[in-house]
Amino acid sequence: MWAVSKLAESLDKLHNRILSDARLKAEETIRGAEEKAKRTLDEARAQAQRDADEILSKASLEAESIRRSILSSRIRANRLRVLDEKNKIVQNVLKTVEQNLSELASTDQFQPTLKQIVDEAVDAIGTDNAVVRVGFHNADRKSLESLGRTFPQGTRFVVDEKPIDGLGGVVASDAGGKMIFNNSIRARLERLDNQLLTTISSTIFGE
Amino acid sequence: MSGIEAVRKIVETETQAKRITEEAKSKAQELLERAAVEAQDVRHAAISHAEQQKAQILKDTREKAEADAGNSDMETDSLLQNYKKMFEERREVAVKKAVDLIVGG
Repeated sequence: MWAVSKLAESLDKLHNRILSDARLKAEETIRGAEEKAKRTLDEARAQAQRDADEILSKASLEAESIRRSILSSRIRANRLRVLDEKNKIVQNVLKTVEQNLSELASTDQFQPTLKQIVDEAVDAIGTDNAVVRVGFHNADRKSLESLGRTFPQGTRFVVDEKPIDGLGGVVASDAGGKMIFNNSIRARLERLDNQLLTTISSTIFGE
Repeated sequence: MSGIEAVRKIVETETQAKRITEEAKSKAQELLERAAVEAQDVRHAAISHAEQQKAQILKDTREKAEADAGNSDMETDSLLQNYKKMFEERREVAVKKAVDLIVGG
């Protein structure tokens, strides 16, 4: 009887021990899972924050790029508008200048100017037997011919009916036509192109 | 208590113990799965929010840049008006200087 009672007691103890171990193991399993779940969430939150920071950082760079692109594009377009307007103004002045120069023969400036540009052309050729061809719009032929008589003997003076190079002027050459100096108004405009544009621009725009 | 009863009781206890640990494992698995889903949600939410912020930043930037560009347009309009005025006022002088330059060389 005593032995049976002892056996029952031992069995109870074993029963309790087995269940107690099982509960302990279960608690450890769940605690482990809870800790792992917490780590997973913490890591996910940290990674999410890094991802968000990276997106916003890239957004900031992209925004700056967009801002610069919009501004530089508009500024470039406006610079072109300004250049275009200035060019139109200068071209307008140049057109008037050409118009005035084409009518040079009708002004008081004509005789002294003609004398000067003929002298320049003859000097450039540097020969006593130069051929000087002149032609201006609306020029008085007699007046041109009388000017021709003021040059040294040997200089041949030819009056063209039409204005030379469209605007009038003078072309000198040696007798053989090998050396030519074009002193037409058009040629002078081309030679003085840079100075001309600077003069017009600085006068109009003060630059 | 007979020996057979004792063995039966131990087997029952082992079965019960096994059930307890299996249930714990199952619960732990659920916990981990829920955590994985929640982690995914957290990341999606954060990225979605950041993308919305990004869209707003870019929209604001474009609007501000367009407004600044509008100022550049107005300044240019004003400059062009000024050029037209200067042209009207100084045209004759410029023509005279240019003609003098060409004929005076």
